[in-house]
Amino acid sequence: MSAITVDLRRNRLLLSYLIVAVLLVLLAVAGGLLSDRFLTWRNIGNLFQQLIVLGMVSLGQTFVVLMGGIDLAIGSLVGAITVFLANFLEWRPDLVWLALPLALLAATAVGALNGLLTVVLRVHPLIVTLGMSSIIFGATLMYRKEPGGSVPRAFADIAYAKVGGIPLSAIVLVVIFALAGLWLQRTRTGRSIYFVGGDREAARLNGLPVDRIVVLAYALSGLCAGIAAIFLTARTGVGDPRIGAALTLQSVMPVVVGGTILAGGRGGVLGTFLGVLLVTMLNSLLNFVNVSSYYQWVIQGLIIIIAVGIHTTRRRY
Amino acid sequence: MAPLDTPMPRSQGMSMASVFERYGLMIFLAVLMIVAALASPTFLRPANLVNVLTIAAPLGMVVVGQTFVILVRGLDLSVASLMATVAVLATAFKATTNEAIPMIFIAAIALSAAVGLVNGWLVAKRNVSPFLATLAMMIILQGIRFAYTGGAPISTLPPGMGFLASGRIFGVPVNLITLAFLAIAFGIVLHRSRLGREIFMVGSNPKAAFLNGVAPDRVVILCYVICSVCAGIGGLFLLGYVGTVSNWVGQGYELDSIVAAVMGGVALTGGRGNIFAALLGVAVLVVINNLVLLLGFPIEMQLIIKGVIIIGAAAFYRTRLA
Repeated sequence: MSAITVDLRRNRLLLSYLIVAVLLVLLAVAGGLLSDRFLTWRNIGNLFQQLIVLGMVSLGQTFVVLMGGIDLAIGSLVGAITVFLANFLEWRPDLVWLALPLALLAATAVGALNGLLTVVLRVHPLIVTLGMSSIIFGATLMYRKEPGGSVPRAFADIAYAKVGGIPLSAIVLVVIFALAGLWLQRTRTGRSIYFVGGDREAARLNGLPVDRIVVLAYALSGLCAGIAAIFLTARTGVGDPRIGAALTLQSVMPVVVGGTILAGGRGGVLGTFLGVLLVTMLNSLLNFVNVSSYYQWVIQGLIIIIAVGIHTTRRRY
Repeated sequence: MAPLDTPMPRSQGMSMASVFERYGLMIFLAVLMIVAALASPTFLRPANLVNVLTIAAPLGMVVVGQTFVILVRGLDLSVASLMATVAVLATAFKATTNEAIPMIFIAAIALSAAVGLVNGWLVAKRNVSPFLATLAMMIILQGIRFAYTGGAPISTLPPGMGFLASGRIFGVPVNLITLAFLAIAFGIVLHRSRLGREIFMVGSNPKAAFLNGVAPDRVVILCYVICSVCAGIGGLFLLGYVGTVSNWVGQGYELDSIVAAVMGGVALTGGRGNIFAALLGVAVLVVINNLVLLLGFPIEMQLIIKGVIIIGAAAFYRTRLA
């Protein structure tokens, strides 16, 4: 790969980061002008508190999309883990130290299973993860149809805890994103995710353990869904099988807005982070100026189309 | 029909492989029906079978359209949202007499065609992945629909809509007749016409199709329009069946229609499939859903079984064709 192409790719990605960053500033200014409560510490703190769930599922989606796949089981998985956590903690509120690792382990295992199925059956990830989503959702509903369970106070606190005035969840999110970015850029395994996404056959021919990397990406997505579920359960205090339903598709939006190409191999976590900020801030602003959630849907759809439209080029035959 | 100086695409339901695939699915359906008959003596009664098929008809209409889109390497996630939007549109006329029905149909088809045009344009001309384009369309339609109804739709419908959906002519449900008509018409287009051949060519190799004088963009856009129109019609019939408008008419049909098509051997990689086999996939799906109830399993079991069969079917056809 010549230095020039690398440079162009970098620039292209930088350009999309720049666009999103400018949009963020514009949104902040617009928010400040439209409402004098928008740019208060209180609201910014609230905003950062909301970031973690969307942020984590989008990060998971980023790994999978970079590797050239897609994970549509995220929402069902988040729902299933919240149900597990809330019911487990209702049964034994004293075992938080056991429940959290178990939840993360289960989520990672389900993610890895997604990856294994795509590798072993060689079926399109869209089909595998849609199918898995249906299976996970059905299994969760068979266990608990309605939201239920409860969590001990100490556990609920992690959703609202602050360290030096900054929400704990925001710190966790930034640290995880930074680690993920470093891992993707600086380590062999991390970089191989890009290789597999860019050209799977070439990666295989270069001796990369492609199958293992695919499974790893899905496992990481599962792990991220698990972390999202922990904070979601802490915030809501119940386990709800349906709570993740909208998350699957929402997780895709920050990824594509941040410039990660759905075909795989290009993009990064910084873009996703900016995308998460943008989406969260936009929703918050629209709520502030009382735009109904109905129009928010329309705007979300338009953003997807515009964001993707910017990054795509005309197909030539 | 002008002869094309290209070899016939193999996947027109005539090669041994696809014949075998079709019979494989029929055997599966037969086994399912025997199990269902053993589980409950009422299953094989004509009344019950007609009932099952009546429920399946709107899904069948969507699958006819979904097949076109999948054949050109796409997929349409906006079909269910479009069905509900068409249902809401049907009430916008606030019509209480049957004279409004043709108007409702024309408006619904026009809206659907426009939606398909946008989907197709995004996919073909702007090179947006079908997943994202139709996903965005799904959310946009949902937003517009909810904004219009304010979350609480009214249910003023001409009485004839109910007849369209659950009425009968000589004992045959009207919606089954419509489905048969749609399937045969589009089946002829797909499997016996020049356009159909172009669709298969674009699906199996867009570049080769282009070099052979086919305009892939136009073919792809047309497939999305056909898909949306089929979904729109399906929405009207489902609305008539349900009888009341909700913002979620047809929810889940996007997944079900893809499951049915894949089970019917329509390859997600494009260029391979058959409308009638896809409809057989619908029959299998509906019988499985019915069977879960007949066997007394909780209804959530349907979700699990559906998930298993979509992964299993995709794996089955992949190995079969490899």
